[in-house]
Amino acid sequence: MSTVEEPLESFAATETADGTVAEKKLGWGFWLAIAWLVLIVGLAVLAPWLPLKDPDANFVDIQGKGRPPYSPSGDHWMGTDQDARDMFSRIIYGARVSLVVGFAAVAFGFVVGGTIGLVGGFVRGWFDRLSSFVMIVLLSFPALILAILITSLMERSLFTIALTLGILSIAPVSRLARSASLVFTEREFVTAARAMGAKPSHIMIRELLPNVLIPMSALALLGTAVAIVAEGGLAFLGLSVEKGATWGKLILIGADSRTLENSPWVSFGPILALFLTVMALNYAGDRLRDYFDVRELAL
Amino acid sequence: MRSALERLALVILLLLAVSLLTFAAMNLLGDPLFNILGPIAGDTENPESLAKIEAAKEQYYLDRPFFERWLRWLGDFVRGDFGVRFASDGQPPVTDLISERLPRSLLLMVMAQTMAVLIAIPWGIAAASRANKPVDKASTFSSFLLVSLPGFALGLLLKFVFAIKLDWFPLAYNAGNPWTERLHAFVLPALTLALPAAAVYQRLLRTDLITTLQEDFILMARAKGVKRRSVLFRHALRPSMFSMITVFGINAGALIGGALIVETIFEIPGLGRAIVEAILREDFPVVLAIVMIVATAFVVLNFLVDLFYSLLDPRVRT
Repeated sequence: MSTVEEPLESFAATETADGTVAEKKLGWGFWLAIAWLVLIVGLAVLAPWLPLKDPDANFVDIQGKGRPPYSPSGDHWMGTDQDARDMFSRIIYGARVSLVVGFAAVAFGFVVGGTIGLVGGFVRGWFDRLSSFVMIVLLSFPALILAILITSLMERSLFTIALTLGILSIAPVSRLARSASLVFTEREFVTAARAMGAKPSHIMIRELLPNVLIPMSALALLGTAVAIVAEGGLAFLGLSVEKGATWGKLILIGADSRTLENSPWVSFGPILALFLTVMALNYAGDRLRDYFDVRELAL
Repeated sequence: MRSALERLALVILLLLAVSLLTFAAMNLLGDPLFNILGPIAGDTENPESLAKIEAAKEQYYLDRPFFERWLRWLGDFVRGDFGVRFASDGQPPVTDLISERLPRSLLLMVMAQTMAVLIAIPWGIAAASRANKPVDKASTFSSFLLVSLPGFALGLLLKFVFAIKLDWFPLAYNAGNPWTERLHAFVLPALTLALPAAAVYQRLLRTDLITTLQEDFILMARAKGVKRRSVLFRHALRPSMFSMITVFGINAGALIGGALIVETIFEIPGLGRAIVEAILREDFPVVLAIVMIVATAFVVLNFLVDLFYSLLDPRVRT
């Protein structure tokens, strides 16, 4: 496998054909994506204090509108589900769980996988060989199967789901951290620090870590997107968080053929929220990756 | 470049590690005895249930040390005997269940990958031959949208448009139908898997094609008067398929994961449904068998992809 042993130089600038150095821009699309993410995270965080309808209340109105689900109207912006619960506020409340799962999973993967990769790339030797083999084993395991295995054997709390997806993100994160660490370990500033008698732990934390984190910021965004989608996949198999609504579970409620035919808004509302969020994360991650010129992010 | 033999050894080591991991997870996190016998498993007071417990322990080797059980299971597995199903006493063995379900999942994967490549090749060529023109920009944008749409969402959208609104395809799979209708029911689920894969493949193909098109032998062919179309399909395509074929192999694993969900949406009783059902009933032998089949397929496929390189481009041969 030819992995990322390419130089990670030329961070914010790239050479154009005539040899001049042009400054790279993130572009307005990047900021649009960030704006959407800020909006959805803000709504999710502030949900209890916003004038939203109670996500678990049943707004049944047999006389006026007949049987639920009700189609989108001024009263219910995105319609209601079969139990006449307001889809708009359910989507916002669902974002709370989905986003927490996504961020927590990636944070876990970064702390564990990032550390293993960073240390492996720096110290080499048996530790590197062993951890690389474990990562190959993890990568050769179809991710969803592993997630199914863990979630089916444990209690499905928010914590377990986030942990499961976090474990899955260890291998790709560690691979990138290792290759970045390998490259930077060869650079002059590390040699200089060594020559000045710095301890290995000092070099890894103060010299390597800040440099390795830069190319990995793109992976954090892409990884969050993958984790949010994976939660949705688990929800479809009935293996997501047991309590509370997530986007995946909301989509599932509207996914059976009859509901899909008669009231598509029940599943299409949360699909739209999920799609926009995943797209924003992917796009922002892609732009960052180009900006920092990181190649091969295997996820 | 490592020799093929060395890589084969790595593949086997990898599969052993995967099987040990799965076997350990199933045995340490769950209680196999309880899954075989149900509530009686905890009832050690009653001599009648105690006898049953002893018999079950004997039959399923549960009284042996963990490592021996794993070796026994492995030995049987290699010989094609996947054991008995825990949850259903007297039911057909796991092997029968697998041989009923596997062909469906296999067909779904083959159809999905074939569709993906058939879509990706013209798509990638169209994009690469007009690099950075509007056609290429539109293709970049649409592939980006496709990749951002999760499989289950795409599946629901396709089902809504083509099965419910247009009524071109059936809503669910029926095993009793003649094979043409069963194949017909596979089109939408396969397409659900194929579209995002095709988007990824065409991106890779496009990048490699753009590089190839700048090489001297392309210029030579053009100078000799070979038609543009012929240069694209017959000269440039083959040496440009490297990245695509690598990811084709890696993607097989991802597709298996996606297939589980797609089988749920389109109600196809394949391996994906089987593993979900088995997990809910904690039917360990079934789960183990499916995980091993999937992992083996995944690893072996990647091994073959590695070998295939040298056939595709003689320059890689050592």
